[in-house]
This record gives sequence, C-alpha cells and structure tokens, in this order.
Amino acid sequence: MLEVKDLHVRVEDQEILKGISLSVGKGEVHAIMGPNGSGKSTLANILAGRDGYEITHGSVTYNGEALLDKAPEERARDGIFLAFQYPVEIPGVSNMYFLRTALNAIRTHRGEEELDAVDFIGLVKEKMKNLHMDDAMLKRAVNEGFSGGEKKRNEIFQMAVLEPRLAILDETDSGLDIDALKVVAAGVNSLRDPERSMIVVTHYQRLLDYIVPDKVHVLAQGQIVKSGGKELALELEKKGYGWVENLGADSQLATA
Amino acid sequence: MAVQQQDTATFVETFVALKRNEPAWLADRRRLAIERFSLLGIPTTRDEDYKYTNLKTIAAGGWSPSTGSSVDVPATDYVGEEAARLVFVDGNLASSFGDSSLLGGLESRLGGVEGHLTRYADFESHALTALNTAFFTDCAVIEIPENTVVEKPIHIVWVSTGEAGTVSHPRTLILAGRNSQASVIESFVSTGDGACWTNAVTEIVAEENGRLDHYHVQQEGTNGIHTSVIQGLTERNSYISTISLSFGARLARNDVNVKLNGEGAECALDGLFVVNGNQHVDHHTTIDHASPNCNSHQLYKGVLDNEARGVFNGKIIVRQDAQKTDAIQHNKNLLLSPKAEIDTKPQLEIDANDVRCTHGATIGQLNAEALFYLQTRGIGKTQARHLLTYAFAADLLERVKVEPLRDHFEHVLMRALSEDPNAEETHA
Repeated sequence: MLEVKDLHVRVEDQEILKGISLSVGKGEVHAIMGPNGSGKSTLANILAGRDGYEITHGSVTYNGEALLDKAPEERARDGIFLAFQYPVEIPGVSNMYFLRTALNAIRTHRGEEELDAVDFIGLVKEKMKNLHMDDAMLKRAVNEGFSGGEKKRNEIFQMAVLEPRLAILDETDSGLDIDALKVVAAGVNSLRDPERSMIVVTHYQRLLDYIVPDKVHVLAQGQIVKSGGKELALELEKKGYGWVENLGADSQLATA
Repeated sequence: MAVQQQDTATFVETFVALKRNEPAWLADRRRLAIERFSLLGIPTTRDEDYKYTNLKTIAAGGWSPSTGSSVDVPATDYVGEEAARLVFVDGNLASSFGDSSLLGGLESRLGGVEGHLTRYADFESHALTALNTAFFTDCAVIEIPENTVVEKPIHIVWVSTGEAGTVSHPRTLILAGRNSQASVIESFVSTGDGACWTNAVTEIVAEENGRLDHYHVQQEGTNGIHTSVIQGLTERNSYISTISLSFGARLARNDVNVKLNGEGAECALDGLFVVNGNQHVDHHTTIDHASPNCNSHQLYKGVLDNEARGVFNGKIIVRQDAQKTDAIQHNKNLLLSPKAEIDTKPQLEIDANDVRCTHGATIGQLNAEALFYLQTRGIGKTQARHLLTYAFAADLLERVKVEPLRDHFEHVLMRALSEDPNAEETHA
C-alpha cells in the first residue's frame, strides 16, 4: 500500500531524514517511535503533503502511484489522513460545516453523492458517541477553545467520518491523561480494518499498550535504526532511547 | 492652483444655471454651500484626510446631471418585507410605496424639515457635502414619529444608470423621534457600468431614547466613483448604528461621523469591504464624544485581493466634559494578494481624564497552517481559501439584524470570493 524508498529530506540547510525506507501493507499498523528531533513528525508531514521540505532523494508510492507530486487534498481524497500533533483552530468555521465540506469533497472524488446536513448528522451521531463527544461540538468553530484532549478526539472523530485507507497519527497521545488516551485508543482500534493501514507516530511506548502495532520502527537522527515486532517497543521502554541513538551512531560509522 | 480654481468654477457655473422652484430657506442654504465649495475646492492628496485617496478624476470636472430616465430597477428585494420603499433613479424619485406617515419626497415635506435638512452634515468644511447640498434634487425624508416602533425595515434604493460623466447627489434625512425605533436600509446600485459618480449625504438624528439602525449598502458598477457622508446625531440615551457593506465602485470613499450629544447615548459603526482588481475603498470615521457616559463601538473589516487598495482612518474625539466615555475601535484586514494594500490609522483626541478608549488594527494573510489543515481533509486549495476568507468576513455580517439582508449578503460574499481571478484549483 505504502512504499517509502531511501527518502532523504532537507529543511533549509539541514538534512532531517537520511534515507528512510518503509513498507506498509494493507491493514497493517506500524508504529514509528523515536526521541524528539529524530524526524518522526517530518515523515508524517511529508506523507500528508506539507510544504517547506526539500526531497533530495528517494521516492514514495501509494497504491502503486507516485505520491510526492500530489497536492495535500488529492492525497486526502485518495484516502490518506493525518491526525495532527497540534490540531489547528479555525475561528468562524463550524466543525459541522468543515467536516461535511471535507466529506463531500472526498465523496465527490469517489463518485458518490454529496450528503446534505440531515444525512450528515445521521452519519456522525453514533461516531461522536463512541468518542464521548458532545453534540454541541459540531456547532463550535473547528478546534477553537477545545482542550488538548478534545482536539485529539476531534482528530479521531474526523478520521472516523472520512474513513481513510491510510491513517497517520502524529503523536496523538501527547498531552493526554490516561482516561483520554483510552478513549482515543478505543476510537482508533474501532477503525482497525483489513482494508485500512495505520502509521502511529509516538514518543512514548504507553500508547502501544492500547493500540497494539504489527510492526515497530525506531527512528533516530533521521534513520530507521531498528525494526521489529510489538515487543521492540517494550525493549525500548526498558533500555531508553540512548540505546537506539548509539545504534544510530554505529550504523553511521558502518556506512561511512 | 489655477487649474483647481477653474474646476471649481465649472461647478459654480452649473449651479448658477439651475432653475429651481423651492422655498427661500433651502435656496439660501444651497447658495451658502456652493459658496463654501468654491473656496474649498475638491480635496487633493495634500489634504491629510485624502492622503491616500485621490479625487483628481472628480476634480477634472465635466460632470453633468444624468437624465434620470426611467430604467428597470435592479433586483433589490433582499430585505424581506418592507415597511416602506423609495426608489430614486439618478437622484430623482421614481416610485414609492408604504406608510405615508413615514416618508415623502422633498416637495410634500419641506415645511417640516426646515430645521433639520442640511443642518447636520457639515458643508462649511467638507467640500463634497457642500456639493451635495448645492445640487441634490429629490430627497428621501424618513420621519419616525415619537413612541413608534417600525418593525419592518424601510428601504431606500438609489439607482444609478451608470452613464459615463454623470453625477447624482442622493440626499437622505432620517429623523427618529423620541422613544422610536426603526431600521433604514440605503441601497446603492447601478444598471450601467460607466465612469459615473454618486455623491451621497445622509443625515440621521435620533432624539431622546430613539433607536435607529442604518445600513449603507454599496454595490455600484466597478468603473464608477462613490462618495458618501453619513452624519449622525444622538441625543440623550439614544442609539444609532450604521453598517457599511461596500462591494462596488472603482473608488469608494465613505465618511461616517457621529456626534454623541446627550448623556447615555451610544453608537455602533461597522463596515465590511470586499474589493478586488484595482478597486479602492476608503472609510473615514469620526466619533465625537461630546457628552458624558456615552459608548461607541467600531469594527471595520476589509478583504482585499489583487491590486485593491484600502484605507481606514478612525478618529475619536473625547471632549473635556465627556467623562466615563467608553470607545472601542477595531479595524481588521485580510490581504489575499501580495499586491493588495491597506493603510489604517487610529486618531484619538482625548480631553477628558476618566475615559476608556481602546483601538486596534490588524493586517494579515490567510493562515497557512489552517489552509494545510483543510487541504489534508480533502478540501481543495481554492475552496479552503474561500472558506477561511468567508469565516473572516462573516462575523461582521452577523451584526446585520435584518435577517433577509444578512442572508443575502452571505451569498453576495460567497459569490464575490468565488470570482477571485487569482484562484487556482490544483485539483482538476
């Protein structure tokens, strides 16, 4: 489904990603862990199409098509979804209007009919309940005045409504207390599907107790220094990031 | 300077040649006005108040009154049910309906308005007001009797035929009696798109405890010039609001002045301008806090695209006696293109010591982070831009209390945004 090959990325003069390769199959959940500054969020943002990065080498294909030349909205319509680390506040635009516009853009792309307000409400009611969200939230401006937990739940709610093929969760756990984390994780788990892949980017192993990944990759200094099964996360938790950072240094020496 | 004098002279000659049959008091006022104008002349950019707005096209002269022949009035049925409607074509009354106790053309009501008409808008120092006073033909007079609440809006439609080289001078007098309440909408529209000129003056008086909501809606052709003066006077415990919705004209200059003259009076001055191409729009407001315990609020919002140019100048005067004044002024602007420009300036003259005056101006672009967020949800870049621009402007429209008018302008706004020629849809 997603093939990242030897991806090198610069921001201004600094190389952030130094040759990332990653293959995510249909229905798989991959966790990408790493310390701050390792390039995790850069990878997530590049997949979603954010400006400001220079791709100096490598390629990304999604469902067999080159991804990197596409506009963010085209990627979204093809089924890529990024849950933001810092969801953006948009004063003056109601959550309901925003999400219905988004859903209809995607439905139109898929050749499906647009939903009117009544059908839309019918569709979202249940999904909101699952995420313990208040109906009033639909009328509020997008993320404006939301607590940290509400913002993250709103991201997962959007994901539930837009039903992506590849969901990228960028530090969705950061800043959440354990109760909020459980709600968000349950929301994510309910969306696990043989047809839906996920990339879960996180700093902390804790999230992976609730969203159990098929594969874990450890990113350090712009490279994947170790990949393995879910048990790798536990090992990392025990040994700390110092362990993998040394691995990163070693591998750089090895290739020098 | 020789050129200036000559231009002034052509206006005076035109005035002298006019044959009018009207009461002596009005003829006297007009003579005073043209005399003042001949001394003032059309302002130039050397005049601080016109630093950014060049009226040389007006000063070049050659303006003649348009024939005002009957035309199909453009659809202006957007205010819902009306208590009364007056339609003027090129300044001449074309039709009216509604409660005759509220309105009348100039002829029928001249007796009653001698003490009011031309008494509020200052022609001594304001050249365009002087010209309007000298030249206006028919006049809209709205009188809300005391203790009367007019539920439905009163609508005055000023139609310009848009013939190049012609000028009309719309003139309105609104008298809101004691304890009365009403809303008056003035719509400025055109049927043609020539380089014409509309020079309007509206005088509004709210007597004790009266409430008057006024709307100045300008959608004239984009080759024309629109200049207007709104002069409000509030007496004790009265309230005037005026909302300017400015979408049309190549050059628009709106002066909005309110004198808070009586304790406990209040005014709200709001405006939304959405301009494109090489349009130029200038709002100059002056609020004169002449009495204690008065409040004023202002919010002007601008959306400027392409090479459009905007000006906002908000003057607040607080007189020595006007203690406990509370004045708030905001001007917020959204520039959609690197070539769009806005000059914004607050001007405070405060002579009292126990007052609260706050002001703020912002100039910004669309939030790139918000744009990206919308795009990652499948919303195309162009639509995302419209959505954010709309959101910026729409909260001003929420202040429009006449619901059908608000709904209409939400659509006008949407349409204005979707005509954005800079738009590029990245998704086919």
